[in-house]
Parts: sequence; structure tokens; C-alpha cells
Amino acid sequence: MTHVSVTVGDDHRESLDGVVQNLRASGLQVDQVLGTLGIVTGSAPDDALDTLRGVEGVASVDAQLTHQLPPPDAPVQ
Amino acid sequence: MIDPRFSAESGFPGDDRVAAVRPPETTGRQIVVLADADDDAGVEWGRAGIGEVADSRDFASGGVPPETLHDAQATVFAQLGIAVVSADPGQMAVLQSAEAPGRRVLSVSPELVHHVLQDVLDYARAYRDGVDDLAERVLHAHDGNGNGHAATGVRAAPLFADTAQATWGIQAVRADSSSCSGRGIGVAVLDTGFDLEHPDFAGRTVSAMSFVPGERAQDGHGHGTHCIGTSCGPRSPSTGPRYGVAYEADIFVGKVLSDAGSGTDGGILAGIDWAVSNGCPVISMSLGADVMEAHPPYSAAGARALERASLIIAAAGNNADRRNGRMGFVGAPANSPEIMAVGALDQNLEMAYFSARSLAARGGQVDIAGPGYQVLSSWPMPTRYRSISGTSMATPHVAGIAALWAEATGRRGLELWATLCQESERLMMPSVDVGSGLCIAPQ
Repeated sequence: MTHVSVTVGDDHRESLDGVVQNLRASGLQVDQVLGTLGIVTGSAPDDALDTLRGVEGVASVDAQLTHQLPPPDAPVQ
Repeated sequence: MIDPRFSAESGFPGDDRVAAVRPPETTGRQIVVLADADDDAGVEWGRAGIGEVADSRDFASGGVPPETLHDAQATVFAQLGIAVVSADPGQMAVLQSAEAPGRRVLSVSPELVHHVLQDVLDYARAYRDGVDDLAERVLHAHDGNGNGHAATGVRAAPLFADTAQATWGIQAVRADSSSCSGRGIGVAVLDTGFDLEHPDFAGRTVSAMSFVPGERAQDGHGHGTHCIGTSCGPRSPSTGPRYGVAYEADIFVGKVLSDAGSGTDGGILAGIDWAVSNGCPVISMSLGADVMEAHPPYSAAGARALERASLIIAAAGNNADRRNGRMGFVGAPANSPEIMAVGALDQNLEMAYFSARSLAARGGQVDIAGPGYQVLSSWPMPTRYRSISGTSMATPHVAGIAALWAEATGRRGLELWATLCQESERLMMPSVDVGSGLCIAPQ
């Protein structure tokens, strides 16, 4: 499973629910639907990512990056 | 011994690039700036004895031909609300007087003669200055510590230092002399949360939300409390110097990094969505991943936040080590074109050694810089205050300044971004490192 962010294209932001429905049907386990941004986060099997990219209204599917701060006592943060 | 080839008398007088300021050449005409008028109220030129008036609206293309400009006593550029007038000071005084009917005159200035700027000698001088500057930098880098200072112990006092009144960063961005406080402006800081019990923030408007599974918004790291201190800390802490910029801003704490300092896109995007939905004009993100490609979700989030009048300001990154010649690069999310990237300066307004350089890709540039070296700010109790360094510390300086400009001008989104860059102080450093320079508070 890969954690992904699915960016919905500008032309489908008004019909986000339909896109989310199709993403679920294509194997996305939805964590959050971020309506203001038009982005859906979740996870999917690696072999389902290309299918997700093919869903109508999807602009991009990207593996989530991890951000890590240095420990609290580090001089440069 | 003085080498005659390099003596100060060798024909290149010391500072003529500054000293050669001549009085401006004028045409004898006046440039008149008219007040904004909702109606079409005209200036009563006749009262000042000005008869021949040309108006740009009378010309088909809106362009006033040069001969008209030459012949008419007054030429009005309607779109600009500006007129060029041939008149003596007495006539101008009639137009400017408060009792004059018709459209008000805001200012009258002599029309200047403009020339193409550089002649060959100017070019040669500029070239020489450039070479001198390069030589100085190379020599410094060679015997210095990579921060651009000579390491020989004769180093002058830094430009800025913490005082009893204010940290060096607050002084450098001129927050201490600004009349703005960020009042009524929502500033979202997406980070490790906040010490909600910190005594310096008693009585402040704080909205907190955690996007980290299983953790409350309370800061178990310290980084978030430090960043909120810089962007929104109090004007007069009960102990120690002022360290916060927008001391009356409404604080939105979005916890997107865990107590262990880690987070993923999912939580960060959720935090952005929350901040935008809450109408925060400023979103500060002192976080990043060292990837060289702009990350599409952040580009979309940045663009859609701007549409909703929210400006995202992010740290350029600390992946440089300038002491060893490594310049680093701006990582995600700051390398998205729709997100502002902030570099870090030290007390001499030179680059902090860790501050990342622009990435050679669209959006990968450093946009602006702020104080990011040995920055004192709040820390979770009982420690209360700590001094740390990073582009993470420069970012909330810019975010706080953005809140002041948002308050002062009412501007949001891209207009606010442009204002920050336009009003920043230019520095004698490469734009790939400092962007438009040091962010400065409205005065």
C-alpha cells in the first residue's frame, strides 16, 4: 500500500463527490476529502495507482512525501 | 608599503558611483497628480489662466501625439489621473489651493529629463565594481568561515544583535517601529503544534487543531511553539526582549508534524485546507522534504489557496552547507511556483550557511529572506525561551510581516505576495540566495 495524494483537476472540483466515488471503486482507501483544495488523500495498492490516474477528473496521483524535523535540541532546524 | 598600482590616487576616485549625483535636469513643465474622482469632475484650468487643454480621451487610441504634448498648455492623461502642465508657480498655487473648486490636485513636481542610463564609462565602472566585489568574496571565502566574514578576529560587530528591548530579527525587519500589529488577521502556523499554556500568550485568540493521528495540538517538540512565537508573539513579554512580529494576529495552530517532528503530505494538506477554510490570509509552513521536483499536490494547494485569498509561505530548506561550498536547493513544498520560499539571513544580513539556494526550475527560486540565525523565541514550558537557527525561523518572520501588510493594505493572495517582495530591502547578494531581499514591516 502507498499513501497518496490525488489532485482533482480544476474542471472537476465542482463534482468532487463523483470523482471520489470513482476513486474508491478503483481501489483508493480514502482518508480525507479536502474540498477546499480539491485534493483527496488516502492509500492504495501499488498496482492500482495507474488505474487511479485514469479516473476522470484526476490531475495527478502522487506518493506522499514524509517530512522530518531534526530533534528538538538540534541547533539548526 | 603601498603598491602604486593599487593606490587610491591611481585615477579611479574612490566613490564616484555614489558621489556623482547631479541636480536633476528639468523641462520647466510641471507634473500634476490629480485626486481619484468617482465622477468626471474636471480641474478648473481656466482659473489658473490655462486655456489650451488636451485630454487623452480625445484621441482615438488614447495615445497623445508628441506635438500635442508640446503645444498644449496642459495635457491630461485621464487613465492615470496625471497632467503635464506649462505654468509658473503662481498659476500652480491657484490650482493647488484648498478652496479651488473641481478636482483636487494632490501634488505638483517639476518634469524631469530622462536619459538612457548607462554610457560606456558607467558600464566600465560597474564592471570594475563587479570584479572588485567578486575578488572580495573569493578572498573572504578562502580565509573565512564560509559565512563571508574574515575569521581573523578583527571582525567588526554584527549589524544586529539582541537587546533588552527586541531580538535582532525584530529589529532587522523593523517590526519594532511599525504601527501595525496584525490585528484581525488570521495567521495559520502548520507545524508541531503549540504550547497552549505558554504564559506569553495568555489572553490571545488561539484556534488549535491536530491533523496528526493520536496526538493533541499541544506541542511535544518545541519547533511549532518557536515558529508561532516569531510570527505572532507578544509585543511586551513579561521577561526578555520582544521576539514576535504580529502581536495581535489571530493564531491558528495546525498540528501537522508529530511530537517526534515528522509528518506526511496527508496531514499537511489537511492543515492547509483547514487554514484556507478558516479564511487565514497567511499560512506559515516551516517544513519541507529535500526533493528537487515541485510536488503537484502542493502546487494545486498553493494555487487554490491564493484563489481563496490565502498566501502560503514556506521554508526554502536547510540542505546547504556553504562553509563547504554546498549550496543546496529549495525543496518541497517551497519549490512550487504557487508557494513563497524563504531563505535565512544572519545578524550581518548575509546568508546563513545552511540556507538553500534557488533550484533551477520554474518555481524553485528563493522569493524573499528573513532572520534565521540564532533566533530567540518561545519554547514549551518550563524552558520558556530558546535560540535556534534555520530557514524554519526565517519563515515565521516573513509570515508575521505578511500579516502586518495584510492589515495595513487590505491586500491578500498574490497582491500580498507582490507587496512583500516590492517592500523588501535589497541586499548586495545573489538573487538566487535572497530573492527580493530582507522582508520589511510597514512603517
